Amino acid sequence: MEYKYIGKDAKRPNAVERVSGRAIFVDDIKLPQMLYAKILYPKYAHAKILSIDTSEAEKMQGVVKVVTGKNIKHPFGDCLHDRLPMAVDKVRYIGEPVAAVIADTERHARAALSKIKVEYKPFPVYTDALEALKKDAALIHEHSEKYFYVSPLYKPTPGTNIAISHEIKKGDIENGFEKADVTAEDEFYFHHMSSVAIEPHATIALHHIDGTLEIWTSNVGPFAVREQVAEFFGKNISDVRVHIPHIGGCFGYKSDPGIEPLVAYIASFVPGRPVKLRLTRKEDFTSTFIGRGIRAHIKVGATKDGKLTALEETLYLSTGAYADTGSNVLIVSVQTSGGVYYFPNAHVKGYSAYTNTPPVGALRAYGHPESEFAIERIMNILARKLKMSPNELRKKNYITEGKTNVVGEKFKKSDGDLLKCTDNVLEAIPPKLDVKEDDKFYYGVGYAGLIKAPKAATFASKGCHIKFNADGTVSLNMAGGDVGQGLWTVARQIAAEALKMSPDKIRVYNEIDTQYSPWEWQTVGSMFTFQGGNAIIRAANKAIDTLKRNASLVLKRDPDMLKYDGEYVYDRSYPDARIAVKDICRGYITKDGTTVGEIVDVTSYYRLPGVQNPDPETGLGRTGGSYTMGFQGCKVKIDKQTGKIYIDQFATSIDVGKVIYPKGAKAQVLGGVLMGIGETLMEEVRFKENGELANPNLIRYKLPRIEDLPAKQIIKFVETTDATGPYGARGLGEHPLIGVAPAILNAIYSAIGYDFKEVPVTSDKIKKALEEKDLLKNSKED
Amino acid sequence: MQNITVTINGEKKEVFFEGGETLLEIIRDNLNLTGTKYGCGQGACGACTVVINGEAKKSCMVLFRRLDSAEILTIEGLTKNGKLHPIQKAFIDADAVHCGFCTPGIIMELYALFTKNPDATEEEIKKTLNAHLCRCTGYLPLIDAAKIAQKYYKESLRKEA
Repeated sequence: MEYKYIGKDAKRPNAVERVSGRAIFVDDIKLPQMLYAKILYPKYAHAKILSIDTSEAEKMQGVVKVVTGKNIKHPFGDCLHDRLPMAVDKVRYIGEPVAAVIADTERHARAALSKIKVEYKPFPVYTDALEALKKDAALIHEHSEKYFYVSPLYKPTPGTNIAISHEIKKGDIENGFEKADVTAEDEFYFHHMSSVAIEPHATIALHHIDGTLEIWTSNVGPFAVREQVAEFFGKNISDVRVHIPHIGGCFGYKSDPGIEPLVAYIASFVPGRPVKLRLTRKEDFTSTFIGRGIRAHIKVGATKDGKLTALEETLYLSTGAYADTGSNVLIVSVQTSGGVYYFPNAHVKGYSAYTNTPPVGALRAYGHPESEFAIERIMNILARKLKMSPNELRKKNYITEGKTNVVGEKFKKSDGDLLKCTDNVLEAIPPKLDVKEDDKFYYGVGYAGLIKAPKAATFASKGCHIKFNADGTVSLNMAGGDVGQGLWTVARQIAAEALKMSPDKIRVYNEIDTQYSPWEWQTVGSMFTFQGGNAIIRAANKAIDTLKRNASLVLKRDPDMLKYDGEYVYDRSYPDARIAVKDICRGYITKDGTTVGEIVDVTSYYRLPGVQNPDPETGLGRTGGSYTMGFQGCKVKIDKQTGKIYIDQFATSIDVGKVIYPKGAKAQVLGGVLMGIGETLMEEVRFKENGELANPNLIRYKLPRIEDLPAKQIIKFVETTDATGPYGARGLGEHPLIGVAPAILNAIYSAIGYDFKEVPVTSDKIKKALEEKDLLKNSKED
Repeated sequence: MQNITVTINGEKKEVFFEGGETLLEIIRDNLNLTGTKYGCGQGACGACTVVINGEAKKSCMVLFRRLDSAEILTIEGLTKNGKLHPIQKAFIDADAVHCGFCTPGIIMELYALFTKNPDATEEEIKKTLNAHLCRCTGYLPLIDAAKIAQKYYKESLRKEA
């Protein structure tokens, strides 16, 4: 099929504002009468608050109010309502707000913080699920039985530090292992990290004196913010209005309500005055969501000819001080534990444990890199036991047409061609190395498959509002946050294609406002192109139908006799009988002024059809809906003296169904792979024993820079038309980082024969491994 | 309160301040030039980069009181009469403007580099941009943009000459 606008490069509609420094981000907004808040954090990561004395702080220059959590009546949340905007009687992590100062300037607010006196009784601190789950561990939530949960999926286990647990049972696991000739079993760990958007979190909240609440924030879930904040304050949802200006990157941690409930709570003490809180980079690490933090104990079985028979696995998520936002991270990780492989039998359990760290929330592809790291590493280990090439073993076991994943979803041919992706990567980076080592380096290659579904709420939808203007141009409103992934560009391209008009005639929204934007669940799960694109097509079709009905009144023909080409509606047999779109988009004004027809102003929505909650007994069910699969590989070299690793080549091939915006799609892969390299080789939120973060800044928390780029990158998209995606397209945004960690670790094994089972693998760790294997070459010897 | 006079984006200004403010704080909070961004406050991310007396500097690391009589250029000063600077145009043409938060700092860095050395090599460009963090692009689009920017900038200098 030939397309006019999609599949071709386009200009980003927001680029001029962003390139000229004119794009307005939250911290750029100043409102009349605005006040500033600064937050007091605890001395301990786990402690009872015995007393708070704010009297001295209240006397400080410029201070308007000092706020504590004592007015908070109940917790809030999405799935499991265990969250508090500010500590009430105990603190559970080092970044938890204990009190806030509201002042005329940020400086004055900061100066008053040290005058607040707090007495604590410290409790033991746990930063790892395995410690928190030990018998006799102190309880981080003493009364989790009181928490509301939206479905049994999110039911906590009172009297323990288990927040939620999840299980899937497919086939007969015992029989599966009986049929196995070979098994492989191991433990893997994916460390905690931070999303680290370059824009730190910032929020402004204003409680109007009429009781309505207005919020400006950097978040891709404006409607989730609105609903949770409304519920927390007992307000009508309609009385809370959330504005989203430009967002300086998300990568996960700006998708659930984060600091918004906190700022709204603080601002409630000064009705009529807006309060701004902008986090420092340190606070952005300590007091927003972190990600990952999953341990996996995995066992797989296979017949001697390499057919997988069984998967048994237990996952432990160190979910942090509040479990609400980590719940789906655990569930998704359990559901994706089989990766791209068909297991006839599987038994996978997962536990999310309260710990004394910042809460785990979304982070690019959450749940997937964690368990796919385990499966892709164990496949290599299993292949060795089978004396088979790892990629041969992989290809033999892909979830191809008619086979099911571990939650029992049957795959169609239109779900993608993983074999083609694999071949693309193997062609770019052949498994056979010409040189295994030279004077300076050891060389290795490694590979991994990847798979991801949106994994959103079953009711998650996106909306599109199309408004035809009097000159025939179109205003397009949606609620998807363009955090840099280019979705406003994609929206305009799809709208242009569906409305058969030049993108120049379509003005895409550039801010989101819950009062005017169509409802959208959250811009998460790499599903904007898929869901949003379908919403656009539906709205476009509705608009075209309306135009035809209006035209039929003028042309005196039935609407189904008419055609539309973007500029005119005309008789399909006698095209000369036509009327311009601009003359009928607000109805048609007849000669004497009487007007007939409808205003062409429509809204449509789209959700993934048929996505369901997992079966309560087995955990099986259509929980993904739409999958994107791919394959990644790399060639690395390791310095024999220093252990430093260099990525010479990195190849990615993903079956995206249809590339809508080629430059944008390529950039998603480039950015995703580099973020994957970051989490594999350098990025880690490290905790001290007392629960403090050891590296909450961009000097000690290493983010990949230009010097960390692979020397060469190869990107190949496969386009197997999706059965339900818009123009056959599937999601792509998060996927490119999923296979990076296992591919690199498999390559390290190929280079030096050492099995790393945890990330990040720093040069120091590789150097130690070289020492252990007696492979380290001392420069003096040379 | 203290005061010094600086030239900001070609305009001479007497600025009053308390004492310990960084240039970044003054630019954003006092002068409302919000195109310059706070990303880390420690000189690690480059989002706050501006040009001071012809040199690219991280404004979060510069105390304002030391800037008496300095010439300061921010991203807002690069666009003249509503017309984008060639470097800005290059970033759009190369599709290198993603979330846009790190973009102003990177553009100011390149402006200083190309003004001093219009013939900077690709290695020099990469080395200079290594001081900037970008989470969206994976950097390659930025490097492409920088090369196009260099070309456009040189063309614009020739036209002026």
